[in-house]
This record gives sequence, C-alpha cells and structure tokens, in this order.
Amino acid sequence: MKRVLTFCLMVLAAASLFARGAGETPDQYRTTYATEVKTLNYFLLLDTTALRVAANTMDGLVENDRYGKFVPSLAERWDHNGDFTEWTFYLRPGVKWVDSMGQETAWEVTADDFVEGMRFIAEPKNGIKNVGIIRKVISGLNGYYWDLVDIDDGVDIGKTREEALASFDSSVGVSAPDKYTVKYTLDNPTPYFLSYLVTELFFPLEKEFLDSVGAEDFGTTKEKLIFTGAYYLADWQRDKEIRLAKNEHYWDAGTVNVGEISLQKVADDSIRVQMFQRGEVSATTLQGDQVKALEGTKWAENVFLDEKSSVTYWFAMNYTSDNPEARAFINNVNFRKALYHGIDRAKLLELVNPYEPEALLRNTIIPEDVIFDENGQDYTDYPLLKEVKERRTYDRELAQEYFQKAVDELTDGNGNIKGVSPGTVDMLPIAEIKADGKLPVQILFVHPTDPTKTREALLLQEMLRDTFDGQVELVLGQYVDDKYNDTIKPRRFDLLYDSFSFKYADPMAQLGRLVTDGSVNDGQYSFPEFDKLVEEADGKTSLTDRYEIFSRAERFLIDNAVIIPWQAGGGAYSMDTVVPFSTPRGGFGVTRFKYKGMILQQNPITADQYKMLEKAFRADLAPN
Amino acid sequence: MSRYIVKRILQSLLTVVIVVIAVFLLLRLMPTSGYFTRDDYINMTEEMRSAYLRNLGITDPAVIQLQRFFAGVFRGDLGRSITVYPKLPISTILAEKVPYSLWFGLASMFISVTLGFGLGILMARFKDRWPDHLGTAYVVAVRAIPSLIYLFLIQIWVTGIMRWPMVFYEDRPVTWILPVVSLSLTGIAWYGIWLRRFMVDEENRDYIKFARSKGLSQKYIMRHHVLRNAVVPLVQYLPVQLLLTIAGSLIIESIYSIPGMGGLLVYAIKQQDNNLVQVLVLIYAVLGVAGVFVGDLLMAFVDPRIRLAEKKKKKEALRV
Repeated sequence: MKRVLTFCLMVLAAASLFARGAGETPDQYRTTYATEVKTLNYFLLLDTTALRVAANTMDGLVENDRYGKFVPSLAERWDHNGDFTEWTFYLRPGVKWVDSMGQETAWEVTADDFVEGMRFIAEPKNGIKNVGIIRKVISGLNGYYWDLVDIDDGVDIGKTREEALASFDSSVGVSAPDKYTVKYTLDNPTPYFLSYLVTELFFPLEKEFLDSVGAEDFGTTKEKLIFTGAYYLADWQRDKEIRLAKNEHYWDAGTVNVGEISLQKVADDSIRVQMFQRGEVSATTLQGDQVKALEGTKWAENVFLDEKSSVTYWFAMNYTSDNPEARAFINNVNFRKALYHGIDRAKLLELVNPYEPEALLRNTIIPEDVIFDENGQDYTDYPLLKEVKERRTYDRELAQEYFQKAVDELTDGNGNIKGVSPGTVDMLPIAEIKADGKLPVQILFVHPTDPTKTREALLLQEMLRDTFDGQVELVLGQYVDDKYNDTIKPRRFDLLYDSFSFKYADPMAQLGRLVTDGSVNDGQYSFPEFDKLVEEADGKTSLTDRYEIFSRAERFLIDNAVIIPWQAGGGAYSMDTVVPFSTPRGGFGVTRFKYKGMILQQNPITADQYKMLEKAFRADLAPN
Repeated sequence: MSRYIVKRILQSLLTVVIVVIAVFLLLRLMPTSGYFTRDDYINMTEEMRSAYLRNLGITDPAVIQLQRFFAGVFRGDLGRSITVYPKLPISTILAEKVPYSLWFGLASMFISVTLGFGLGILMARFKDRWPDHLGTAYVVAVRAIPSLIYLFLIQIWVTGIMRWPMVFYEDRPVTWILPVVSLSLTGIAWYGIWLRRFMVDEENRDYIKFARSKGLSQKYIMRHHVLRNAVVPLVQYLPVQLLLTIAGSLIIESIYSIPGMGGLLVYAIKQQDNNLVQVLVLIYAVLGVAGVFVGDLLMAFVDPRIRLAEKKKKKEALRV
C-alpha cells in the first residue's frame, strides 16, 4: 500500500509540474555522451554509453525493480537447490526478438539463446574481456576456456579445437532442458547468483541471427543487432547520435513511459548546462563552480544532489616503492594510521561539492545499501562496520600522535631514517626524488592533470605539511592518460587514489580482489591474516556467517589503514527532468543505466521536489 | 614537363612509402598494454591478454604485418579498426565520416578564399587607411586570441541570441551556419593578410612604377598586374588545402558535435589503433604529397614564366 501511495505521490508531483508547464508530457529523453561507443556488441561493453544502450535494448533473465529487488524479466520465475549450486529459470513463452525497425522477427526467445550467449562469451577468439568475472562461477567454464586458449597457443592438450568446442554442452554448467527452461550449474554455493544475471554476460544470443551476420560484424551497425529489451536501436550515427525507440512488442510495454531515448555526442561537457537550460537535453550534472554560478538565478532551485553510486574511491599506498623513505613509512602501521586520521577527506571534497562535502564520504570499502543478508540486514550495518561507517576519521591530534610513534620507530632520534641511504629515486617520467634519508619523509602523490584534481593535490600537500609540522612532504606527480599503465603498473607512485565499481552482490567482489596479489591490490601489500579471513568467509554459504567474517576482514584493512576509503562515486549535483526514483535501482551490472519505468516531467525537478520524493522513497524502501 | 611530372610522381610515391613504413614501425614500438583499458587489463590474465593480442595479429613479426597491410591496400581492403571502433571495416568509418568534413571544409574554403581575397585586395587598395587598419585588427585578433575562446563565445552567444541549437543537426540547416563561419575565420585572415602582403610587394616593383608612369589607371594596374602576380604564390597552396579538407577540424567538429574526421587520427594514435592509424597516415600522406605536386603544376599554369624543370634543362642544353 505504501508503495502505491509513493508512486501516486510521484505521479502527482509530476502532474502538478506539467500543469505549470506549457506542453504535454515529454515523450523523449535526451542526454549526451562524450566519447563514441566502440561497438554495440552487448557482450563487449566497453563504456557507459554502450552500457546504457545494452541496458535498454536487452533484457536478461531477471532485473531490478525501482527498489533494487530482483524481479522476473525474461524468466517468469526461478528456483535453486539447497546449497545454491543449481539455478533453474523458467522463461515466459512467446517473447520475440525485434529488429532495428522495431518489427518482430521470426525468432522467439528460448532457453537455447542463453546457452548460445554463454557459448559466445566462452570463446577466447570473441575477446569478451569481462568473462573473468564469471569464469570461476559457472561450472566447467574455466576449464573449457583454457583448453581453447591452450590449443590456440599450440599446447597439446590431447584434443583438437573442434573436439574442445564440441565438449561445451557436456562440460559447461549451462543447459536448456526444454525450450523454456535454462539451468545453470555452479562450481561453488553462490547465494548471490542473481546479481550476476543483471550483467551483460548473461544476455541471450540468437544463434541463427549471429550466423547470418557473422561474429566479426555482430554489433557493428544497428542492422547487425536484434533486441529483447524495452527499446530497440532505431538509429546509430557514429560520433553524432544514438536513438532508441520504444519496443511496442515488449513483454512489459505498459511500464515503458517514454517513447524515445536520444543520446547525442557532445565532446565538450561544459556546454551541457547551457543545453539543459535551453531545453536541448533532459538532464545535466554540474561541477561545484557551476553550482556557484547558478546561485541567485532561477535555476538554483533546480539543483539537487544525486544519489551516491556503489563505486568507492580509496587511497592506495605503494608498499614496494623504489622510494626508500616512503617505503619505510608506508610499511609502518602507525604512519598509515597517521595518514588515515590526518587526511581531512571532506575538506578535499569541498573542491567538487562546496556545500555538502560530507555527503560524498564513504568510510567502508564495500558500499552501503547494496548487500543484504537473509534477514534484510545491510552488510555495512554489521557491528564491526557500523561503527566505521558512522565515524569521523579526521583527527589532527590523533594523527600527530600516530606520526610521532612512527617517527620514534623509524628514525634514530636525529631525523635520520633508519636503513635509508641518500640517493636519487628514478620514477620518471612521473617524478625524480632526491631521497636524503632524513625527515621530512618524501612521498610521491600521483594525480590526473585536470585542474580540479591538481587543486586537490595541492590542498592535500598543504594539509599534510600543516598537520605533521612539515615532516611529511608530498611530492606531486601527474599522469596524463592512463593511471594504470602510466603509474600503477610501472610502480611510479607512493600514494594515489583509485576507484572500482562493484561487480556482484557479495563482499568477495571487492575484498577478494584486495588480497595478496589481488587484481586491485595496487599497493602490492601482503597481509596473510586478511587473506585467511577472506578465504574463510568465501567458504561459508550462510550469508550471516559469510558477512560476519567478511566484516572482520574489511575491518582489518581499515584498522590497519592498509588502504584508506575516501569517497563514493555518483553524488553529483544535477538538474533533471526525470522524476527521481522512477527508474530501476541497483549497484550491479547494467541496472543503473535502465530507463524502463522512467517518468519525465515538463519542467526541471526542483530540489524541494527531490527531497520530498526521496523522503517518501526511503520510507518505502525501509521494509525491503 | 612530362619528364618532370613522371619524376615527381615517382618521388611522391617514394615519400608516401617511406612515411607509411616509418609510422608502421614506430607503432610497433608502443607497449602492447595500450590495447587494453584498465578494467580489461585487470579482468584478464596474462594468457588471456596474449590470446587477445594474437587474435588482433599484433604478435606477428612487423614485416609480416606490413606485408599484410600493403597486400590489403592493393586488394582494396583497408582492414578493420582494432580499438577505436573494434572490428568495424575502416572503409565504413571513412564512408561515414569523410562527407561531413569534406562538405564543411569545401564550404568554408569557398568562403575563406572569396572573402579572404576580397579582404586582401581591400587592405592593399586602401593601405594605411581605415579599411587596412580594420582588416589588420581582424587578422591580429584571429591570430592572437586562442581560437577556443572566440569559437566558444560565438557558439554560446550567437546560438543564444538567434535561438539556434548549440550543436549541429543534419536535418536543421540553420545549425550548419556557425560551423562553416567558424571554420572560415582563420582562412579569411590567412588569405587576406598574405594577399595584402604580396600585393603591396608587387606595387613597389619597378614594372608597376613604369606602368603608372605610362599613365595606366590604378584599377587596371591592380587587376592586370598586381593581383595576377600576387596570387601566384597563394595558388600553390590551394590544392593541398582543398584535398586535406577531408581531414576535418578537431576543434570545430568537437564543439558542434559534427561526426567528421577531425581528431580521428589523434584519437586513433592514443587508442593505439594501428590499422586505423596506418590507413589515415597513408591517405593524408597521399593527399598531402599530391596536393603539393598539383600546387606546383597549378603555379606553372597560372604563371607562364614558371617552367619548372624543363627550363633548366633547356638552359643546360644551350650551354653545351
């Protein structure tokens, strides 16, 4: 009942604004993108624009509703065995693929399409880069994939490529027992399996269509795609516009309120605000200085702070740095704690959000509001993390205290760092450091070149200099293009911040990558105690037990300041004509890019309207 | 003359081949990590990365890759893009993008030449008077102010005042105006200032003084002597500028969201799309070399006194 009331409230709020506006309900949502889509092969999603197109033109087995709950999509229902290793999905019959003219094709969506989708991503030659996310989830997929790679590498594995390909149906854990039933068999108990299903990796693929266009050309033009989603790709003009039109044959067409989605390429983001003010686009985000510029104008009332995303930014330290001064201090827990308490993160965020910087902070590694146990308890509300989530980390005195301890442990009392000889540290082209082996300790902080990030780096430099009485000297270095290839991979940093999206609904998605030799362990640290906790947690099938151990692992990282969580993604200032909370909600896969259910209004949302709807939505969300 | 043409064609071919091979080999010196995004790199194991690169043909010896490239070009197959528009035939990319840059380029060149020549003649005709000062002020402004500044101002102010859309729409002709005008601004200044300079130089020559002393009218002298001679050095550049209009404009196309060729080469280099870079380099090299060659011929055509190589040969023959 509450949900119905909230929805009515949203519609009324929108209707009241329509009444003030001159026109009727907008039927077109217009937005922009800055970088051209490389391909629309939905298994190869390489950027957010391609994600946006795939999310709206393709449906998978399940989807998220506007509360984030997993609900039926192409599958009407599903069940699983007791230990979550076998999942069976029952498709809704009669759903047809549509083409780029919006016409129904002869092909019906069947269970075989999901098997073919998996077969496509399991073929190394198709270059599906995200397959690593699920290759150890689906039974047999890992072995099948590597067999093909080995054969391509010329390794004799006792069978030919054809034989290996023919083994797919018997070796990989996906099958179609009948036309409308898809069954997945998993290597390990995976209670959060549904969160994988909203990624593109589980989209269906029509084999006959693929054969007719060829794997090489699949997704290179609009004619070389067919669709199962709420919209179809009506036009794609490279470097200009992507237009999605409502699929009139969609199985859930009644919930699609907007007839057309237009994505225009506008390389220069700075004109987007003007385009919004002139009614040329339906939404825009704003930088802090743009918000200030709108103060006192009629647009000020339309600026609101959008929701945070599941992406988390954190400071990473290089435990194996070539800079001996930094290496000595970073490997000292007291120094790391000094940084943890000495960096005023909110102050840094004032550069992008001068009004509510605290709203963007995130103290945990795993985001809030995305993982819940059997009892509906948020993972970040587990006792060990709840305190972390709510604490204020900046404490100047405590930071100085920890720093003094570090200095006592690492220097000889005369400012000489023990075991460090003077020398030049070559981290070129980022920086060259003259290490004298004495205090102040020099730390190379690497940041991007854009003006806001540069100001942020200068502020951090001054902040640490002030907090530690000049005993910590941040040497600033910049990378131009690619943080990973320019900085992390060649180990040319002591301190930087990095951000990572959240792939599936389990703490393992992030903590599993932060273990020794983990793929996002930028610092190359090794803490066996943490590794052991992660391994132990991953062996548990009860969510409560699993999350409790994961919360201990995460708390270990934070207590030892192994990495320092900083801020959440999203949370940008926005002006929008989309009624807030009318679109699907979710932290994984393609969900946050879906427009299904979206309601547009004639006039821009006001900040008051946003707050009112947010309050109602939160109240409604609470019991879920 | 024909001997000269054959020689120049052979030299041009050699230049193109050298440029293409040099760029081809330089691209192979780039680290292979450039073929991946950060997320890709993280999600792939070393074996997956190797398999991916092998499928792209990157791991083959450079000579084999070069051979493959030239064989494809001779067959009319330009290959497929690797990272910019993965797997899309390069011929499709060019077919989609070239017309925009070409039409905008040609329109702006027509305006640049027409107005630029007009401005140059006006400035020379009224040297040190207000039309000259006004023209000089325009030229200095266009050259001294960073183009991004005035181009942005034009976009924001003019579209605001005229209530035009801020970006280009193919089906709304009104949105074609500002990109063409913006593209023409520097061209007008360039042609204007150089034509003025050449005309002023010509005006100070003895034969012009002689013509004046003979009693020829200023108008006649300007049209038949000064302008004809001043245009000769500029004519040389017209073909290359005309042919390279297909390269588009990085800034204008970016500002007005025109899906042309502007910036494609830079982007392809940044994305390490070797196939696309090679084809673009080949095209630009061919057009550039051809443009210079045609420019030389055109100059000889416009000015009968220029005989290129043959005159030298004749002189040598006479000496013998």
